[in-house]
Amino acid sequence: MANYLVPGDLRYSKTHEWIKDLGGNKFRVGISDYAAKHIGDVTYVELPQVDDEIGKEESGCVIETVKSSEDVYNSITGKVTAENGDILNDNPETINNDCYGEGWLYEIQAASADDFKALMSPADYEKFLAELGD
Amino acid sequence: MSQKTPLFDTHRELGATMGDFGGWNMPLWYKTGQLKEHVATRTACGLFDICHMGEFIVTGNDTLAFWDHLLTNAVTSMTDGQAMYNFMLNEQGGVVDDCIVYRFSATRWMLVVNAGTQDGDHEWLKAHATGDVQIENIGPATGKLDLQGPTAPKVIAKLVGREKLADLKFFRFIPEIMIGGVKCLLSRTGYTGEVGFEIYCPMGDTKKLWDILITVGAEFGITPAGLGARDTLRLEAGLPLHGHEIAPGIPAVGTPWEFAINYEHEFIGKDALLANKGNLFVYPVIVEGRRKPGAHAQVLADGAACGEVVSDILAVSLDKKPAAFIRTTRELKSGDTVTIRNEQGGSFTAQVMDNPLWRGTSRKKMDAFL
Repeated sequence: MANYLVPGDLRYSKTHEWIKDLGGNKFRVGISDYAAKHIGDVTYVELPQVDDEIGKEESGCVIETVKSSEDVYNSITGKVTAENGDILNDNPETINNDCYGEGWLYEIQAASADDFKALMSPADYEKFLAELGD
Repeated sequence: MSQKTPLFDTHRELGATMGDFGGWNMPLWYKTGQLKEHVATRTACGLFDICHMGEFIVTGNDTLAFWDHLLTNAVTSMTDGQAMYNFMLNEQGGVVDDCIVYRFSATRWMLVVNAGTQDGDHEWLKAHATGDVQIENIGPATGKLDLQGPTAPKVIAKLVGREKLADLKFFRFIPEIMIGGVKCLLSRTGYTGEVGFEIYCPMGDTKKLWDILITVGAEFGITPAGLGARDTLRLEAGLPLHGHEIAPGIPAVGTPWEFAINYEHEFIGKDALLANKGNLFVYPVIVEGRRKPGAHAQVLADGAACGEVVSDILAVSLDKKPAAFIRTTRELKSGDTVTIRNEQGGSFTAQVMDNPLWRGTSRKKMDAFL
């Protein structure tokens, strides 16, 4: 199995998004190292707009790569408060180079932390990746 | 369980993302990334592990008649040391496989086929062999590395001597040549649109050959490249991928690859092709905007549905514009505009282009590169 970075201060979805707790039921969203390596070079990101309301398991944004077009599934029902277009519009490859840092996608305000708590812990996500066997 | 080439560990060491292709676990891209691998192949050279493809040696006094019946192109016009791109069709005119046939002599040939189709191809060959025709599957014992791009001739020249390469024309090959101590067949062919080589060697020597090429190629910008880049390079260069632009269930008419079909001889599928002329067409298109519509998206011309997207990529060499091949039931011409709609509700405008989208260095005189 290849090695993938799984930072300990985040939670993870089965569709390989990471979610960071920013406090006050606000969360930051990005894609995991596993996802970034598997989709290949990102060429364009269609981000949500601030004030968009996105439900759990809906498409939060779309990542275009050279070969494919990938939906990023939203894990936290809420309202978008920020998007990372300042960086990603001109440098979408930041997602490949720094998926947990500068390559974040958007931030969302939820009513509670329930959706967040239901996500996988870093240890569970590592187990999940090991089961994928790749 | 997917098969592995002798370079599996090398790919992993290079940080490759692996994927299944035709029953083989192959590198899709390396740590370098698909974009850079694509650009490196257009501007310097890319090295591709293509060990998964199938090879057959066909010998015997009736081989030429066998090919004439089985393959679409003008194989009878070939001379020793020549290679030729061909379709192998079924009775319905669908493509069993696209392939390259190599002529060593009138009674000794090699056929190179796709990875995922090689078992079926083998059965097809055996089922149609009559008279003095012997078929030997050398695929499992044969390694294949493709070195493609404008600096590829310099890399090979450094290993074999400039004089051995200077006269090697497009679609010609050297049946036996030592490259860094490895006995190879060196073919001036490829699937990227650039000048370069397909190099065949004993499977067990593949790693040795790879290492030599990487070492000698360092000063010429050699870059390991995966199947992802191979796909974007071939689509730009206007070449089909079996299972997409060409397939067993689709008559091979109206495509940009009519050059591979010579109607001056009798071959399997010819009647079906003639019966289907004017019914199907394949065109390259450039899509407006930055998003790709996706394979199988519907194509409409003047508001009427007339086909679908069969492959789409970002044309890295064309300012990263989305590009696709579409298959239609309606004849279109270069410059026509079509609408493409996908299942996600996206609507796209695309323009029909001339094939290929990218004209590379493949046909230039070898001298220009040495």
